Amino acid sequence: MWRSYLTVAIRSMTRNRVYSAINIFGLAIGMAACLIILLYVRYEHSYDAWLPGSDDVYQVQTYYKEPTIGEMQASAYVAKTYLTKDFPQVSAAVFINAGGGGATVIKDGISYESPDAAFVDSNPIKVLELPFVVGNPKTALEQVDSAVLTQTEAKRWFGNANPIGKTITIAYKKGTRDFRVTGIVHDFPKNSQFKISMLLRWNIFSAFSEFPDMLTHMGINNGLLYIRLKPGSDIHQITSQIPAWKKRNIKDDDLGGQKLNWGDIGDVGIVNVRDVHLGSAQKGAMTPGNSITTVNTFAAIALMILAIGCVNFVNLATARASQRAREVAIRKVLGANRRQLVIQFIGESLLMASVAMLLGLALTELFLPAINVFLDAEMQLHYWGSDGMALPIIVLVLIVGAAGGIYPGIYLSRFQPAHVLKANKSAADPQGSGRLRAALVIGQFAISIGLMICTAVIYGQTIFARTSNPGFNRDNILQVNNMAYAEYLHANSDTLAREFGKIEGVRSVGRTTRGIGMSSNNNDVVRKPGQIIGSLKSQPVIARQKVDPAFFPTMGINLIAGRNFDPSRPMDDASTPFPEDLIAERALVARGINVVLNSFATRTLGFKRPEDAIGQRIDTTTNPKYGGWLPATIIGVVGDTRLGSIREPLDPTIYIYHKRFVPFAVVRYSGDPSVIREKVEQVWKRLAPDVPFKAEFSEDIVAKQYQVEQARAQIFAAFSILAVVIGCLGLFGLAAFTTERRTREIGIRKVLGASTRQIVRLLVWQFSRPVLIANLIAWPIAWWVMRDWLNGFDARIALTPVPFVGAGLLALAIAVGTIAAHSIRVARTNPIHALRYE
Amino acid sequence: MPMLTMTKLSRVYRADTVETVALDAIDLTIEEGEFVAIMGPSGCGKSTLLNVMGLLDSPSSGSYQFAGLEVAGLSEGQLADMRKRNLGFIFQSFNLIDELSVFENIELALLYHDDIAASDRKRRVTAVMDRVGIGHRARHRPSQLSGGQQQRVAVARALVAEPRLILADEPTGNLDTQHGEEVMKMLQMLNAEGSTIVMVTHSAAHADYAGRIVNMLDGRVLLEQRRAA
Repeated sequence: MWRSYLTVAIRSMTRNRVYSAINIFGLAIGMAACLIILLYVRYEHSYDAWLPGSDDVYQVQTYYKEPTIGEMQASAYVAKTYLTKDFPQVSAAVFINAGGGGATVIKDGISYESPDAAFVDSNPIKVLELPFVVGNPKTALEQVDSAVLTQTEAKRWFGNANPIGKTITIAYKKGTRDFRVTGIVHDFPKNSQFKISMLLRWNIFSAFSEFPDMLTHMGINNGLLYIRLKPGSDIHQITSQIPAWKKRNIKDDDLGGQKLNWGDIGDVGIVNVRDVHLGSAQKGAMTPGNSITTVNTFAAIALMILAIGCVNFVNLATARASQRAREVAIRKVLGANRRQLVIQFIGESLLMASVAMLLGLALTELFLPAINVFLDAEMQLHYWGSDGMALPIIVLVLIVGAAGGIYPGIYLSRFQPAHVLKANKSAADPQGSGRLRAALVIGQFAISIGLMICTAVIYGQTIFARTSNPGFNRDNILQVNNMAYAEYLHANSDTLAREFGKIEGVRSVGRTTRGIGMSSNNNDVVRKPGQIIGSLKSQPVIARQKVDPAFFPTMGINLIAGRNFDPSRPMDDASTPFPEDLIAERALVARGINVVLNSFATRTLGFKRPEDAIGQRIDTTTNPKYGGWLPATIIGVVGDTRLGSIREPLDPTIYIYHKRFVPFAVVRYSGDPSVIREKVEQVWKRLAPDVPFKAEFSEDIVAKQYQVEQARAQIFAAFSILAVVIGCLGLFGLAAFTTERRTREIGIRKVLGASTRQIVRLLVWQFSRPVLIANLIAWPIAWWVMRDWLNGFDARIALTPVPFVGAGLLALAIAVGTIAAHSIRVARTNPIHALRYE
Repeated sequence: MPMLTMTKLSRVYRADTVETVALDAIDLTIEEGEFVAIMGPSGCGKSTLLNVMGLLDSPSSGSYQFAGLEVAGLSEGQLADMRKRNLGFIFQSFNLIDELSVFENIELALLYHDDIAASDRKRRVTAVMDRVGIGHRARHRPSQLSGGQQQRVAVARALVAEPRLILADEPTGNLDTQHGEEVMKMLQMLNAEGSTIVMVTHSAAHADYAGRIVNMLDGRVLLEQRRAA
C-alpha cells in the first residue's frame, strides 16, 4: 500500500511540475528562513552557556532610578567587598576592567593599543573557568603581574614562540610594568559577553592609589563584577536580602552637612552570565547585547514565513483537488476508507515537506556563512549532538507535513465517489473550500503587508537616526582619543590641541570628556543654593561634561543665551591639579565655578526660558571631602545635543570648563580626511610617542552606532521580501489552477462577447480582492506594533499613512503582476478550445 | 438467497428549494449469476440506482439488502469494507489513475485487502490481465492505451478481487462500435463463468447481451423483460 502511495505521490509531483516546484520551493525557502532564524534564536540564547559551571556565575549590575542613567552592567568595586563579606554563598568574585578596558602594550619601544586587554583584581579563573590551552588554571593568575593570553593575542605578541614564562610590557601609570605570561586560553567564542584578549592580574589598590575614592564609593561604577556561588546556592536568597544589605553597608555621604545615601537612587542587580546578553542592562557591556523582544520578534517572523509556505501547500492542494478527486473516488470505490485516504495525503505532504526540507537545508548551508559574516556571529548547523538540529528538523518536517496534509486529506476524502465518477464530471470543488483559500490568501498577504510596513518604518527610523539633527554639525570631525593619557604622561594636552590646530585644513580643536557616540557616564545631583534635601531621589540628576572653550564652536553647538567659557576669565576655569590637591579642591568649592547648561538642563531645573537661567546659582555634587556641594553660576545656555544613540534619552547636561584629563579632542577639518588624519597622527607621534594614537571620524562613529539597527533592518527587509515571494508563489499557483478550472466559463464569456481586457479584469479583480482585504487586517496590527517599537526611541519619525498605503499598493502591484500574465494567456485562448476543455 | 433485494427504495436529492426524486419506490431483486441491463432515458435514475446498488450512495427511504444484510445504517467504514469484498465497478470513462501503470491500477483493487500477500497479488493481477487480453501492456500508463484497452484494464480491475457483483455504468459509452462489442463479449463471458453483472446502458443492442432488461422512467421501474437463456 505504501509503495502505491509513494508511486502516486512521486509521479503526481513529476507530472505537475509547476505545482510541485511552487510548493516545494516556497516551503524550502520558508524552512530555510525558519532554520536560520531558529539557529539565530538558539545562538542568541547560547551566550556564555559554554562557560563551565555558568549556572553559578553571575554578573553584578547597577540600576539607577534616573532614566537618563538607567541600567548598566558596570559595578562599584566596593560592591565586591560588601557582597563577599555578607554572603557566604559567594565562593569567589573578580572585578574586571576597573577604570575602563584595554591596555597599552610596549614592544621594542613602540606603544600598541590592546583594546580588549582586561585588568583583573583577583584570580578570575575561580569565577570564570576559562578553557586553558597551556598553563595551570588554578595558579596562572594567582600572582600579581601575571598574564594569561588568548591564542590569537599570544600569536600577536610572540609569534610562534612559546610565550610561557616570557614577559609582556604594559604601560602603567607614568612608566611601564612587566607581566609574566603564565597561561594561554582558547579565544573567546563570539557568543560571549566577554571580549577579552588577555587577562592582566594587577594590584587594584596600588593601581588606584591616586584615585582612592574609585574603590570605596557605590556611585563610581567603573568595572565589571562577576561572582561565583557555591554549588547548590540559591541566588534568590541573596537577591531577597539586597535591600537589607544596602542599608547595612552603604554609608551616608556628607554633602555639606547633609546626609544623603546612594541607596536612594541606585540599586544592585545580580544576573546569571547566560542572561546578560539578552538582559535589560546593556550600558557598559563588553560586547553589544540584544533584546529578548528582538529575538522573539525574529522567531515570530520565522513562524509566519513558515506559515505562509504551509498555506501555499494547503491552498494548492485543495485547489488541485479537482484533479485528485477522481483518484480519491476510485480508491473509495475500491474499498479505501477515510482514514487510509487521510494517511495517504499526509504521507504525500510529508514527502513534499521532506524534499522541501532537504532543499531548505541546502539553502541554509549555502547562506549561513554569509549571514554569519553579516551578523558577526558564529552560528553553526550541527545535525547531531546536544545542540544538533536533527531533532528540530524532523519535528519541523512532521509538523509542516501534518499541517499541510491534514486539511487536504480530510477535505478530499470527504468527496462522494458517486458524484465525482459520473461520466463527464471531472471537477469537484465543494462549497467552502474556495472561501477557505481566500481566507488563507488574505492571511498570507496580511503577514506580507504587515512585514513590508514594519520594514519601511524600521528603515525610515534607521535613516532618521543617522541623519536627524543631533544638535551639532556631525560631519568632518576627527575625534582623537587618549588625550587624558598623553596629559597624564606629558602634561601636554594643551600643546597637542594647539599643534592640531596648526595643521592645514584644521578649522578648530575642542576637548571633551564625552565624545561622539558615548553615553553619559558622569552624573551630578543638583540643588538650589543652600537647599536642604531629604533624599537624593527627589533631586534632578544632570550629566556632567568637562569641555574647553573651543568645544562648542568646534562642534557647531549653538549658544542660545549668555556666553561661552572665556579662557581669560579665571572664574570660568574649573581645572584643578593632579594628583589630587585637597587644598586646591576645597578652594575651588569655596570660590565656586561658572558653568554652561544645555537647554534641557534649564528646563529640568525649572527655568521657563534659557535666558532666565543666566546668572543664576546652583549647587552640584562634588566629593564629600571637598565640601560636598560645588556652587556654580550659570553663564551660558547651549542647544541640546545627542552624542549617544537615538535610543537613549537626551541628557540634561552641565558643562564645566576643565583642561586636565579630558580624554577626547574633536578636530573640525575641511579637505581630505585621510590627509588630516595622517597629519594629526604625525603631531601625536612627535608629542606623545609612547601613547597609542587612536582616532575615528565622526561619520564612522555614527555608522557604527547604528550598525546593529541597520543590520536588523536589513534582516527584517530580507525576511519581508521572502514572505512576499513565498506568498506570490502561492498566489501564482492558485491563479494558474483557478484560471485553468474556469477555462470553460471564460470560453462561454468570450462567446457571449467579453473582450480579453474584460476577462483579465475579472480574473485580476478576483485575486486582488483578498489583497485589499489583507490591508484592513495588516494596517492596525502593524500600526500597533510599530508604535510600540518607535516608542523605544527618544527621537522618532512620525507614523504617517505613507508606509501603510505604500505597502498595500506594492502588495497589490505584486499580486496583479503575478497573476496578470497568466490571466492574459488564458483570456486570449480561442473559445472553442476553452469550451472543449470539459 | 437473492444477491440483492430492494424494497420501496427511494432516493431524493434536496437542494435549497428544489427536491428531485431520483428513485421512486423501487422494488427490485437480482439473483446470483444474473446479467441485468438497466435502460431508460437520460435522467431516469439508472446511474443513481447503480450507485445505490454499489453502496456509493445511500437510499433516502426503503430497504436495501445485499446478500441478506440490510445496508441502511452501516457506517462509512463498513460500507467501504463491503465494497472491497463484494463489488467491482466498471465506468463509462474508465476512471483509471493516470499516475499508475496498468499493472498498478489493477493491483490497487487488492491493496486495500490486508489479507492478500504480495506474491498472491502479483499472481492474481497477472492472471486477470491475461484473461482480458491486456498482459502485454502491464507497464504502460493509461494515457498510452486506446479507449478499448483502457476499458479492459478497468474490467480487469473490477474482476481482480473476485467480487460477487460487477456493476457497469455505460461501459461502452466512450468506445467505438468494435471496442464496444469486445467489451460486451467479455462481460458475457464473465457472466457465463458465474459473475453477477448489473449494467446500465443506452444501447438496446448491448442490452441484448443481458438475461434481463429493466426499463426505467422518472425514477421508477417501468418494465422488466426476461430473455430466454
